[in-house]
Amino acid sequence: MNMVQAINSTLDMKMAADDSIILLGEDIGKDGGVFRVTDGLQSKYGQQRVIDTPLTELGIVGMAIGMAVYGLKPVPEIQFQDFIYTAMDQIINQMAKMRYRTAGKITVPLVLRTPYGGGIRGGLYHSQSGESYFVHTAGLTVVTPSNPYDAKGLLSASLDLGDPVIFLEPKKLYRFQKMDVPDEDYKVQIGKARKVREGDSITIITYGSMVPTVAAVVEKNKVDADVIDLITLSPLDIDAISASVKKTGRVMIVHEAPRTLGMGAEISAMISERMIEYLYAPILRVTGPDTPFPYRLEDTYLPNEKRIMDAVDKLLKFR
Amino acid sequence: MTEVINEQVEKEKHIRGFGAMILSRTLDKKIITAQRQGRVGFYTPTMGQEAAQIGLSMALSKDDLLYEYYRDVPMMLHRGVPLEIILNQVFGNRDDLAKGRQMPSHLVARDYNFMSVPSPVATNLPLAVGTAFAKVYRHEPGIVVASFGDGSSSTPDFHSAMNMAAVFNLPVLFFCENNGLAISLPVEKQTKTEIWKKAEAYGMAGFKADGNNMVEMYKVAQQAVDHVRSGKGPALLEARCFRMGPHSTSDDPTKYESDIVQDGSDRDPIVVTQNALKAMGLINDQLVDKVKSESVRIVNEKFDQQEKIPAPDPETMFQDIYKNETWIIKEEKGEIL
Ligand SMILES: Cc1ncc(C[n+]2csc(CCOP(=O)(O)OP(=O)(O)O)c2C)c(N)n1
Repeated sequence: MNMVQAINSTLDMKMAADDSIILLGEDIGKDGGVFRVTDGLQSKYGQQRVIDTPLTELGIVGMAIGMAVYGLKPVPEIQFQDFIYTAMDQIINQMAKMRYRTAGKITVPLVLRTPYGGGIRGGLYHSQSGESYFVHTAGLTVVTPSNPYDAKGLLSASLDLGDPVIFLEPKKLYRFQKMDVPDEDYKVQIGKARKVREGDSITIITYGSMVPTVAAVVEKNKVDADVIDLITLSPLDIDAISASVKKTGRVMIVHEAPRTLGMGAEISAMISERMIEYLYAPILRVTGPDTPFPYRLEDTYLPNEKRIMDAVDKLLKFR
Repeated sequence: MTEVINEQVEKEKHIRGFGAMILSRTLDKKIITAQRQGRVGFYTPTMGQEAAQIGLSMALSKDDLLYEYYRDVPMMLHRGVPLEIILNQVFGNRDDLAKGRQMPSHLVARDYNFMSVPSPVATNLPLAVGTAFAKVYRHEPGIVVASFGDGSSSTPDFHSAMNMAAVFNLPVLFFCENNGLAISLPVEKQTKTEIWKKAEAYGMAGFKADGNNMVEMYKVAQQAVDHVRSGKGPALLEARCFRMGPHSTSDDPTKYESDIVQDGSDRDPIVVTQNALKAMGLINDQLVDKVKSESVRIVNEKFDQQEKIPAPDPETMFQDIYKNETWIIKEEKGEIL
């Protein structure tokens, strides 16, 4: 199945087992969501559990937090991550800080799902990669799957975490690939990265929509690369990063989000602080530029084979 | 004498309004067909909202400023925005006024007093309040119109803007184009009140109009515009109209709506308006046929012409971010191009 089907079937499986799970969002019920991720769930579980809300992201998220602190396990959907910003007050000042503010007396077990990133010709407001905003906020766990198998296991783990999870779905990968996904419940552990392929010469750290791009470029150009799919953006899997960096001594980070204060900045700082003596070359970043995301020039914006290979060559040649 | 002249002016205004409705419908159909053929990336059709928008536009003057939303192409055409500007935006080509940066349907035409539109709905409404303040502060004539759909009335932006416009007694006309749907959600599930009635709670005047009939719409819009223009404070004008098709070219309305108004049917605002104008003796079949065929000719011609214009230069992606280019952007441009 593809990623949309994997997420849909996981929600279905979890809802059948746990009636505290409630979905809410714009067009998620009758319409099944604009990407069809929640298709069929309202007819199965009713309008009490799959709620078509009025058009207010602030309201959706605030209401979900209110449910979560009182025994329910809501899964709010924000139709596009680009539209989440009126809800940022709720996310940053309520969702993320509730456990701390109440010394653990009140908690917010919920999973906020939202599609993010480019690749569908969505222009300025249907393409943003805003993961840094969430990662920068203490109290939020931030995850992003890059294939159907991980999507299922990660969603299952997120629902069981007991803390608020920002579940970022790379919309470009929704229907990109089909995979065998087990019927039964399983977990992809939060906080653990995955090795996409093994190699000895260079470490490439990436996540989300860039995972298949990097894998294909590396394969095609026969680069001896250790490729890491972070899966969890907060907290980062420092052990997986360390082991690989110590092995190769050459590192690059690839993401679609803008470079400045992107994930690459944090990862590169962590590596510099902890293992600079293992490095043979500077850490490089191949990322989206620090511009808004354009409509017609989408292909110019997104990291591509040429940019990835330029960085690979530079790293491998560095003496 | 002046009465005769006024009558003539009004007649011509109605005929011109109807002409813009037809032109807009023709353009809409052309773009939708082209989208299916892969010649256009995306579009949010405007069919069903022509009479509402143009009825209001007829009551506005040149000095008025508009914060439009993504379905306001009919109003833009009526206010004289050339087809070329609209089509260049739809293609996102080199000549687009915004350099092909936004998805189709997100127009800007500053020279025609249209202030541009981002996708997140209702975010323009608080800006309309600030711009109205600036207009008053600078002793400029004209009012500010902010348009939005019924769904947008649920946002915090709507609430803040309505409240502030009333508190500061500013010349803003909030124009709700209630097409009954927000993607799949019917307006009855969006809000428990009629939208125009919300005006009272904020302390402003509320108006409700039949947005399906340009003649009726114009009458009510004129009252609302006169109210705002006279300095009595903001107003909320709700026009009841239809979304005669999918939300966008990516949407399948059969999933949630069984009663989509069909092109050319009794409820189609073009048919309703055409009948009204005929009853008033302002138009006849011959004129309608002429307007229609002329619209098809001009739309086809302009479409083919603008389609040939190439994509923007990749360099444009790095422009207009700051007044002065930063070193970071310069460096990234060097890496990418
Ligand atoms: C803040 C925000 N949330 C969600 C969306 C996605 N979206 C685009 S249009 C739309 C429905 C808008 O409905 P309405 O305001 O009634 O206008 P209509 O499209 O019916 O003309 C939604 C939910 C958005 N653009 N902005």
